Amino acid sequence: MADPREVHDEPPPFLGTWRRVYWAVVIYLAVIIAACYGFTRALE
Amino acid sequence: MTTLDWVVLFATLTVIVGYGLYRSRGSDTVDRFLLAGKTMPWYAMALSIMATQASAVTFISTTGQAYVDGMRFVQFYFGLPIAMVILCATVVPVFHRAKVFTAYEYLEQRFDTKTRALASIIFLCQRGLSAGLTLYAPAIVLSVILGWPERATIFLMGVTVITYTTLGGVKAVTWSDVQQMCIIFIGLIIALVTLIHLLPASISFPDALYLAGAAGRLNAVTTNFNWDDQFTLWSGLIGGTFLFLSYFGCDQSQVQRYLTGKSIAQSRLSLIFNAVAKIPMQFFILFIGAMVFIFHLFVTPPILYEKAALDRIETVAAYQPVADSYARAFEQRRKAALSLIDAHHAHDAATERTEVEAYRQAQRGIEDARRQASRLVETTTGEQKFSDTNYIFLSFVTKYLPAGLVGLIIAVIFAATMSASAGEINSLATVTMVDLYRRYFHRLGSDHHYLMASRWATIFWGAYAVIFAGWGRKLGSLIVAVNVVGSLFYGSLLGVFALAFFFRRVGGTAAFFGMLAGEAAIFWAFFFTKISFLWYNVLGCAVVIATALVITRIQPGERRDVSTPNMLSESQ
Repeated sequence: MADPREVHDEPPPFLGTWRRVYWAVVIYLAVIIAACYGFTRALE
Repeated sequence: MTTLDWVVLFATLTVIVGYGLYRSRGSDTVDRFLLAGKTMPWYAMALSIMATQASAVTFISTTGQAYVDGMRFVQFYFGLPIAMVILCATVVPVFHRAKVFTAYEYLEQRFDTKTRALASIIFLCQRGLSAGLTLYAPAIVLSVILGWPERATIFLMGVTVITYTTLGGVKAVTWSDVQQMCIIFIGLIIALVTLIHLLPASISFPDALYLAGAAGRLNAVTTNFNWDDQFTLWSGLIGGTFLFLSYFGCDQSQVQRYLTGKSIAQSRLSLIFNAVAKIPMQFFILFIGAMVFIFHLFVTPPILYEKAALDRIETVAAYQPVADSYARAFEQRRKAALSLIDAHHAHDAATERTEVEAYRQAQRGIEDARRQASRLVETTTGEQKFSDTNYIFLSFVTKYLPAGLVGLIIAVIFAATMSASAGEINSLATVTMVDLYRRYFHRLGSDHHYLMASRWATIFWGAYAVIFAGWGRKLGSLIVAVNVVGSLFYGSLLGVFALAFFFRRVGGTAAFFGMLAGEAAIFWAFFFTKISFLWYNVLGCAVVIATALVITRIQPGERRDVSTPNMLSESQ
């Protein structure tokens, strides 16, 4: 009999695969760091 | 505080706790009490993870940090998104499939009992120490700023947390955290809008940004590499990644939040949300601190924000010359700021350069006077390394924000304290019950027995935190070291989990001695080097892995192939 709490993996609700979500986060981080760097340089 | 502030404070806290308890109905089995029956949606876990991490110190201290040192602290969080991605791809599916209550339970499946016991004890030592500090740090600031009795404040916050955590378990903690984060967001946004509104009419928002930047208060990124500098791009990206891998992957206070998820996907989404939201949130909090600095360009700030310390040195003969020099420097800085804005508006580059230098010179005069006043406190009271950074934001709030809003910001401080403390107490109780009591002292009890044991463990750790916090004044500089405390233990925990996930040939004995060697290396670095604490996690993790690999090479031991699936297949 199947465990009623059997753990299932599911695709993410956006971007299709988890791999794409992870790459999106990494790109987002690069953009954030670039924005912070630009913010620092523009206003120092 | 006015009557309106008290009404806002108590109404906010009552709604938060009441809602948390309402949503926690039915927490009548161990599974529901400790893991919410794995029914939590991603957004609740996401906000609970954020709330558990953000203690009151985050708001009190971070704003003050930006006021005195600019926004460099934001770099501390640059490693967080990387850590979240790694954890989503590796740890989350493994823990879910292993069907564990605690992260350390998995170590027994993978290694052996002694490795699980050592990891559990390391967690209890580290988290138990910080549980008291979580309650103590805001209580001391509130007592100095508002005159509230320290122990009564600790007792009020502690008893509230113990009550809803004991009655409702992890569900009450999570749903209260959701409310607390909402209050925190609302309070901070209103505080920033009010702050900008309080600036002089002649200073526009772009002017405020320009002045903050010219004073070095908007320096969000530092690219130079320095081992001793805590906040650089590199320490944030490398050291921060290791620290957050440890904190979110090996610390039960965080692991328990995402183990309550309905599915692997829901748990992953909660971490991804934090990966995206955390840096902007910290940036926002730091920005508030920078704006408090701008506000005080035009409204005289006290030379020291900790009033009790200021009262003590005002009677000392050496104080008056320092106060006079501070007053002169403030007036020079105010005039220089206005002249600089005029030059900036006139697009006169040569005058602007001269005015920038005058403005920075006046700022150095202010900092010199504040340093001298701090030294006076140290010589008068015998206190070492006096700092009033934690008092800056709340001092501004209580003096300049309108009635009602003060109550809301104090509610934010309470909410942040209670959310962080509840997560800690809940996880300490879980590890005590699951990893020690059920494993070593009472193996064949009923579900009801373990439910009651979990509740008693919650009361025990809550009482411990309150009592420990009550003795906080005697701990002194440990408050400053609250972040360092975590780093003293996280490196070896991270190392043993890295062994579990990525080094299949390593057995329990090698992992166990690897952890001991990792701890020894971290304590050596702490006592005998000046390396920034962010690097302890890297060092500890590396020593654990290296030692375990050497032991495995010399004496290949037992190995267990349990729940170490192909990680890459999980990330599809």
